[in-house]
Amino acid sequence: MSDPDADRTPSVLARLVAPFVDRSVAERLVISVAAILLSIAVGFALVLVSGRIAQCSTAAWTMPFTGLGFCYNPVEVYVVLFNGALGYPFAVGEPGLFNAGWTPFNLSLGLTLSETTLLIFTGLSVAVAFRAGLFNIGTQGQLVVGALATALTVLALAPLLPAGPIAGVVLIGVGTAAGAVGGGIWGAIPGALKAYADANEVITTIMLNFVAANVAYVLVLEVFRAEGSSVVATRYVPEYAQFRPWLFPPSSDFALLALLVGVAFIGALYYFVEHTSVGYDLRTSGVQAAAAEYGGVNAKLTTVRAMTLSGALGGIGGSVWVLMSEGRWMASIPDLGFDGITVSILAGNNPIGVLPAAFLFGILKGGALEIGFRTDVPTELVAVLRGLIILFVAMPEFFRMIGRYTGVAGGAGGAVSTGPEETAGGDGGETDA
Amino acid sequence: MNPAVHMDGITKRFPGVVANDDVDLAVERGSVHALLGENGAGKTTLMNVLYGLYEPTEGTVRLDGEPQSFDSPRDAIDAGVGMIHQHFMLVDPMTVWENVVLGNEPTTWGGLRVDREAAREAVVELSERYGFDVDPDAKIADISVGEQQRVEILKALYRGADVLIMDEPTAVLTPQEVEELYGVFDELTEQGKTIIFISHKLGEALSAADEITVLRDGVNVGTVASGDVTREELAEMMVGREVLMDPATSPQDAGDTVLEVTDLCVDDDRGVEVVSDLSFRLRGGEILGVAGVDGNGQSQLVEAITGLRDAASGDVRYRGESMVGKTRRHRIDRGMAFIPEDRQERGLVMSYDLVENGILGSQHDPPFARGGRLDWGASRGHAESVIEQYDVRPPDADAEAESLSGGNQQKFIVGREFERDPELVVATHPTRGVDIGSTEFLHDRLLELRSEGKAVLLVSSKLDEVQGLSDRLAVMHGGSFTGVVDPSTVTEEEIGLLMAGESLDDDSVEGAALHDDAGDGIDGSTAGGEEVDA
Repeated sequence: MSDPDADRTPSVLARLVAPFVDRSVAERLVISVAAILLSIAVGFALVLVSGRIAQCSTAAWTMPFTGLGFCYNPVEVYVVLFNGALGYPFAVGEPGLFNAGWTPFNLSLGLTLSETTLLIFTGLSVAVAFRAGLFNIGTQGQLVVGALATALTVLALAPLLPAGPIAGVVLIGVGTAAGAVGGGIWGAIPGALKAYADANEVITTIMLNFVAANVAYVLVLEVFRAEGSSVVATRYVPEYAQFRPWLFPPSSDFALLALLVGVAFIGALYYFVEHTSVGYDLRTSGVQAAAAEYGGVNAKLTTVRAMTLSGALGGIGGSVWVLMSEGRWMASIPDLGFDGITVSILAGNNPIGVLPAAFLFGILKGGALEIGFRTDVPTELVAVLRGLIILFVAMPEFFRMIGRYTGVAGGAGGAVSTGPEETAGGDGGETDA
Repeated sequence: MNPAVHMDGITKRFPGVVANDDVDLAVERGSVHALLGENGAGKTTLMNVLYGLYEPTEGTVRLDGEPQSFDSPRDAIDAGVGMIHQHFMLVDPMTVWENVVLGNEPTTWGGLRVDREAAREAVVELSERYGFDVDPDAKIADISVGEQQRVEILKALYRGADVLIMDEPTAVLTPQEVEELYGVFDELTEQGKTIIFISHKLGEALSAADEITVLRDGVNVGTVASGDVTREELAEMMVGREVLMDPATSPQDAGDTVLEVTDLCVDDDRGVEVVSDLSFRLRGGEILGVAGVDGNGQSQLVEAITGLRDAASGDVRYRGESMVGKTRRHRIDRGMAFIPEDRQERGLVMSYDLVENGILGSQHDPPFARGGRLDWGASRGHAESVIEQYDVRPPDADAEAESLSGGNQQKFIVGREFERDPELVVATHPTRGVDIGSTEFLHDRLLELRSEGKAVLLVSSKLDEVQGLSDRLAVMHGGSFTGVVDPSTVTEEEIGLLMAGESLDDDSVEGAALHDDAGDGIDGSTAGGEEVDA
């Protein structure tokens, strides 16, 4: 049954991937923490090097013992990145561990959580497709379409209802549903192309991103542009039909309610994947398509379903972006969909994991803004530091995924089978002695 | 004179498991030694120690009296130990000689260029010395399994092996090819090579080996000369109690037609027709065995019946309903159980635990699912009951499928499918890799299903299994049935001939139609085909 040589002399890829496969949760955590520390070490060196190259009148940091001066202070960069993203809860350079004046409802944390909220939806979108074995690179396009559908629906319905909280609830509900439908359709297209025309979903979803962005741009430019607007954008939706900041400063564009909706979606998706028949079909297709087929799973239908659901989640991300962040659809949509891919990988494509992963992304985003405010470090360098952290943290998970998809490890391909039959067993060894 | 291989007091422990417990093994130069035992008895572990894949926890390995310490198979190869795995490690698009020298190519230009002429020459010389009939320039993909095995042997010899370890060498061969392999054994031992082969087949050990060592539960139960021991004695040594060699089949009145296959043609993935105009009928309370060498269309036939593959033409009627265009789901819902050929690819989701695997196929049906929600409590109970009834080890529903040994994976699949309360069981190699004790139990369950009036289509490469269990035995070759025979009267030689694509004289074929009134369908399949002229 087994061929022990495969265990012993795996391919280069297998050897590369092997240490990251089959880790326990605790081990993964340790790996993640180690990855963050390692990325900080590398980033530290980068900040020093660029701080040496840059020109400045006074050194921001002097290296102990050597007396060398640097324009940027690497310690400060990382302190501001993490501490600043939360609104400085920790006292640095002052007595005590915490800042007495800190309140959770500050602008910085609001910005961080706003980003977190949006990334929850795009992260879930990518994760659900991944779980079905599909690479949805098109969450960005689905988000664009969903955002436009939401903005137009709310703008069209708002005049028909008397302004007020009730209309607000209805408009937010209907607007979000419209976003889900829009994104869902945009996701179903590559799903159907994959299922019925054997078109690779990676290619089609990437292409549909461009189609979505450009069609939406032209539509708004030519038809739905707000009068007198200098940018390509629709009119603002009424304030009562937006997720309003609550407790947090209005300028943070963060609504706690939207975050709660996101967390509810995490729970719902987890339940769907783990505790429903359709979810079982979906993840079985993802880990071992041949076994799913054997178990009576309709592969084509599952592909379309998963892509539709994925698209709908991306579309809802677009709804939240319109109803919480911008208040309107505008042409410069941030790369939330693409970040969602990394969030999902970081989360191990597990819905529950999307929460911490999105939060880490939010921190990096919020912290980057703080670094811009507080230090002379250029934003480009901060982007590099963010990239480093993401790269290091995501890499083990990414290796694990490669391992699964190439069949090097566990499950599907079985390039490495279960190990020598007689030895792994031992079980048989106990046969009635 | 020292024995060629002398393993002394080998103990190999894995976490929680003793795979080999103080095992001694001595093999004389120039002899054939069979290592016999059930699955999980520790045969492969012992050989992996000899081959340098495992380091023994205790004990020593001596070759020709010299103590050895292998860190890797590379060391073992250097010391003259070669291993031929059950699954060949050959590169299909490359030629025989290229495969033989692969990794040890003779080179010129200071190692920059492979000396193809010298390499080919060496392979030709080697294969002539041992009387191997293989074309050095043939591509692996184009030669038979038996020839591929000989290429593997050549590979080991080319690397200087004096001791050849073969893991279940006959598993993939036809009876005729097995005979040829025995010839190869003779040739090799005459030239002073030593052969150790792993097997769980009694007959094979008796006819091919000079000496037989039986392992049970990781312990050496005894080493006997093959001339001094009977089948029954060996079987008793293996399982520790007397086993019934033949499952008791009793005549059974066949019920209604459950499965009817008419003029079925099926293409494989490349679009080549591999099942040609096949017709047969299967009734409730009947076991139809399908024998044949792997790759003669059995897989595709089974896939077409179970809904994993569309038929190119023809009809499959199940319980009176045409299955053409019907989904796999529909067939499951209509009570078709299916033990697939490839348990690790299809039958189980390797990364799922047994609770999750227990509902594979039933994930939409009560009691495991209600209103689209899965009831993990019911699923767990189901998995645990399968584990208990079918003696799956370790008895842990939370164990992932991939952590189980092959035989236990198989037992779990068989249990899951049998407990589906099916009308038709399509069983492909149901006891492949399963030890004798459990095989016996699975056979009994199969016969129980039959006496409950269920229909069973049994595809197996184990001749004694299909012969012992079936009411009728169809032999498949080249996409059609070369014969449907009465398993109680047919001889192994006759089956071998049919498996090789030759037809028998009419007597035995006609005698087989006994359960099949009017001989419907069957005659068409035997007559249909070039074999008649051959």
